[in-house]
Amino acid sequence: MKKIIATLVIALCVVGSAMAQDEIDYARKQAIDSLALEKVRDLSKYIKIVGSKETPFSEANRVIDRAEELFMSDAEIGVSSLGSNKITYYRVRKYFEHLMRLNYDRVEIEWYNIEYVSDLQRQPDGTYVGVITIFQTFRGYDKEGNLTYKDTTKKDITVYVKRKETQIGGRTIGFWDVLLGDMRVKETTNR
Amino acid sequence: MKSKITTIMMVLLAVFITLGGTTSCKSKKRLAREAAEAEYKSKVEQAVKDLNAILDDETLWSLEEKEARVKTIKDWNLQNAEVDDLIFQVEKKLARERAQKEEEERNKQEAQNANTTLERNFATIAQSGSVSQANRTINETLGLFESPNVPVLIIIKQNAGFNDYDRPTTIEKYLNYVKDQKKAAEKVHEIKYNANGKINELELIKK
Repeated sequence: MKKIIATLVIALCVVGSAMAQDEIDYARKQAIDSLALEKVRDLSKYIKIVGSKETPFSEANRVIDRAEELFMSDAEIGVSSLGSNKITYYRVRKYFEHLMRLNYDRVEIEWYNIEYVSDLQRQPDGTYVGVITIFQTFRGYDKEGNLTYKDTTKKDITVYVKRKETQIGGRTIGFWDVLLGDMRVKETTNR
Repeated sequence: MKSKITTIMMVLLAVFITLGGTTSCKSKKRLAREAAEAEYKSKVEQAVKDLNAILDDETLWSLEEKEARVKTIKDWNLQNAEVDDLIFQVEKKLARERAQKEEEERNKQEAQNANTTLERNFATIAQSGSVSQANRTINETLGLFESPNVPVLIIIKQNAGFNDYDRPTTIEKYLNYVKDQKKAAEKVHEIKYNANGKINELELIKK
């Protein structure tokens, strides 16, 4: 019996020690928080570029490739409009292709108030998961330059941050891989 | 008779004075010679000691201090075979060290120039007024690299000698990222070159 208890105590110490090693200090946590927020800001720029009618087709396609790399492979982006209660969810590439084809002569897309609504929390598998909320104002103009549509949508983006390793130049590099998950529509208004 | 004795006494006195003066002069010269010999011996010993210490890397002197020491020893003009041989060996060694130091300084300067060029190009790309203007600078910058797929590592946080990185990218993707985001938020941390002087790995750090 004593042997079993001793074995259990040792096992718990080993597991505890391993878990402690996986924990990161405040400064490093701040760095990955900022990194995840930066990825969302990067996405807002990509949406702006692809949505712009002035962006050459080849550039837009290249940017869509970069934007896709920000997301998990099965992530979806929600699209809403004032005229309907329906929210349509598109895979990332489909969302951007839809954005490119919007029937306006000029489009303005602005993201603001980008912030965490749920801080990154460490999951049992070591992945940090959080939720970032953004407000998006969309404006569509006709060829005369008149504003024909405007809405503001609040969206929540799930963010996954995982520690990974890769080999570069014969050495192992540990890096934080930030991937965006689904972008869910929370609210759409005409403001 | 009295006059003769007086004359003999005067002659003897003159002889004593002359002999006494000569002996005293010879003694002074000998002392001076001995002092000179002692000084020479001391300088030779010091020269041999210093030159051997330089040869065996047993000094904490900088290269400039070592060069100055050799110059001082040469100025002594000791004309000693052992010292001359050591000077010959030390001068060869210091010439090698000088060449190595100049090479290091040249490399450091080139690395500094490369850092400046890259960071200037990043800023130019970020501030470009048009896609075509940005693409021109991107192509010019890519010319400094082994290939567009050269890995770029971005340090997001340094912690007690430990680096946290963002997901690795390539130089082509990074330059386009700077163009798309219109921001150059990283500075050069380290550059690695291939044998042809092209960059084959780039490490950046968040400003």
